[in-house]
Amino acid sequence: MWSRDKLTKAGVGAMATALVASTVFAGAAVAQDKSINVAIVGNPQMEDIASLTPSLFTEETGIAVNYVFLEEQTLREIVTRDVGAGGQQFDVVMIGMFEAPQFGRNGWLVDLNQYAGGDADYNVDDIIPAVKNGLSWDGGLYAAPFYAESSFVMYRKDVLEDAGVAMPDAPTWDEVAEIARTIDTDEMAGICLRGKPGWGDLGAIFTTVANTFGATYWEAGENDTIGAAQIDQPEFKEALQFYVDLINDVGENDASNASYNECTNQMLDSKVAMWVDATVAASNLEADDSPIKGKLGYALSPTKVTDASGWLWAWALAVPENAPDKDTAWEYVKWATGPEYLATAGDILPGGWATVPPGTRQSLYENPSYQEAAAAFAQKTLDAMLAAPIDNPGVQPRPGLPGVQFVGVPQFQDMGTRCTEQFSAAIAGNISVDDALSACQAIASEFEGESW
Amino acid sequence: MTAQAEPTGSPDPGAERAAKIAEFQRRDKWRRRLPLLPALLFIIVVTQIPFIFNIWYSLQDWRIVPPRGPDFVGLENYTEGYTNQFFLQSVGISITMTTAAVLLSLLVGTALALLLDRQFLGRGIARTLLITPFLIMPVVAGLLWKNQIFSSTFGVLNAIIEAFGLDAIPFVERYPFWAIVTVLVWQWSPFMMLIILAGLQGQPTDILEAARVDRASSRGIFTQITLPMLRPYMELGIVLGAIYLLQVFDHIEVMTGGGPGSTNVPYFVYQRSIGGGWDFGQAAAYSTIVVIASIIIATFALRVLSSLFQRQEPV
Repeated sequence: MWSRDKLTKAGVGAMATALVASTVFAGAAVAQDKSINVAIVGNPQMEDIASLTPSLFTEETGIAVNYVFLEEQTLREIVTRDVGAGGQQFDVVMIGMFEAPQFGRNGWLVDLNQYAGGDADYNVDDIIPAVKNGLSWDGGLYAAPFYAESSFVMYRKDVLEDAGVAMPDAPTWDEVAEIARTIDTDEMAGICLRGKPGWGDLGAIFTTVANTFGATYWEAGENDTIGAAQIDQPEFKEALQFYVDLINDVGENDASNASYNECTNQMLDSKVAMWVDATVAASNLEADDSPIKGKLGYALSPTKVTDASGWLWAWALAVPENAPDKDTAWEYVKWATGPEYLATAGDILPGGWATVPPGTRQSLYENPSYQEAAAAFAQKTLDAMLAAPIDNPGVQPRPGLPGVQFVGVPQFQDMGTRCTEQFSAAIAGNISVDDALSACQAIASEFEGESW
Repeated sequence: MTAQAEPTGSPDPGAERAAKIAEFQRRDKWRRRLPLLPALLFIIVVTQIPFIFNIWYSLQDWRIVPPRGPDFVGLENYTEGYTNQFFLQSVGISITMTTAAVLLSLLVGTALALLLDRQFLGRGIARTLLITPFLIMPVVAGLLWKNQIFSSTFGVLNAIIEAFGLDAIPFVERYPFWAIVTVLVWQWSPFMMLIILAGLQGQPTDILEAARVDRASSRGIFTQITLPMLRPYMELGIVLGAIYLLQVFDHIEVMTGGGPGSTNVPYFVYQRSIGGGWDFGQAAAYSTIVVIASIIIATFALRVLSSLFQRQEPV
């Protein structure tokens, strides 16, 4: 009789074989003693480190790194499958603040404190405390942050000035919407907001809007359970209607297909004048090779009834409990998230010091080269991260571990992805806001009473 | 008459011979079946055993996010399953999407086949080019249409629309169902075309000639002779097309990633299992429901079809 475990492994193995075809082999020319497989999300900072890995890491250590770049949503599926169902495809996986404490709680990840704790070179105390806490569970550190971010408003100072409007340092959503409607032209949209389905895409930014409008997905239930779904409440409708109207009136083209990367491109091409999204985006907008470098202003994430609404997020590297060679995996994690990479990469990267992965270590913000290159946004990034209402994001208690742009329960990713499909369809105009809300209420109700 | 049925013990040469022949025939049958056994065994191993596992999983409460089970829950997954509004929606999408795509590609395929059935310069090249969409990988076809034709930023179609001074239409986002059906029709028309073309070229020329001698009009020849003769080919196209198009997944994954209007049953089951739901018990139950429904429909369709085929033969 075959065990269920073995069958699952066989399935995961078959999928893994398909993946290998898309693997990017870095450092093929270097003599290699060992090699590891790393699954990461295909954002610019990750592509940078992949291009520097052969010269900075493989040459020093003899460890070849095979990167697999994936879209956020695909990465989540594959990583969950790999670490959750016992596959052994990856030695190192990139996960976020949503997954790290939950996967740690499930016993799927190696507690990195056993390596990092005694390592003076790695200097774990240099990591910004809020980020470290967000990646920990019950005293264990389950992922090492590669970059961390909050969310804020990025706007074209020149465009706002021409239109004769000013952005407050801590704007409300009503103010932001009014400014967006004022500066919107045929050539340049007033605002870029995510509309692509996925709890980490549209879900991330919209949840911060819902929070500050006083809405929530679920009530907190008793004894660590999920309470009643709250999407049928008037606050939720107000938030979604506001978001959909703003995008349809003055938002970017193809909004229901736009996420972080699409908005980055539209900002760089001067197709939009304002953008509410991750603070890490500033690194690309202010890079040496950016056409809009120096033209940007920054303000805190917009609010409505709460005091702060910015999210807190980190993309972090974790080692699965079933990884074949944990020591080698840690060597890579140590290099990729350690102080040394932050100190050396700035001089080599084509985008210069501004594009170094931000938000993880105090030492980066004390580095004079970074301070100079990132003067426009470094302090604003830190301010936004400190302001993120991680412990109390809305007006009511909610189930699960702490989280701003997500609810810290495992069921959230399923609910969030399916609900954002509905919201995205409402943005595209396929269905009405009311239909989207009632469908989402039905989806969220499926999880009522479940423990997390 | 067999040897065992012989009442007396005395050897009857006729009966003995009959028994030998029967024995020989039995052996001969097995000699013919034997080489097929590995294939049969293979089919059982790769389809039936996984299906039994699937049924077993469908009776369990088993999730990996959050980790739970597997615990035996009987038919609970089924009773919850077939009343779920999103499952029913996906069933509706599957039926309408398959019907629309099969019928439209049959229509386009027949039209193309009729054109290709004529003699003209460069017919071989035209035929090769027309077949090409069928040879393109579904994922590539989906991405190609989404980004280079439908997209309101990079799409050719929208460039043309904008050249006329109209506003760009985000086709995939605004009309996900028809955007996907369009790509399916583009990919499957060549398949239908090939089948219909085979039918057209198999037409006995003497009947057509006789009709022309009798001064039948072109339209009359087409509706009275060609079309009835093409009927079994069209039916074959519909059955094969429906079997493949019911399983569409790739186009949906790369073009819309699911959502109201584009989540069909395969995509829905994917989402409930490894696509984010991680609810293997529930997903297995949906799969089983779909298999049972498919068997019922397929049996019905095949019976109708085989009777149709038989009726065609005397023509």
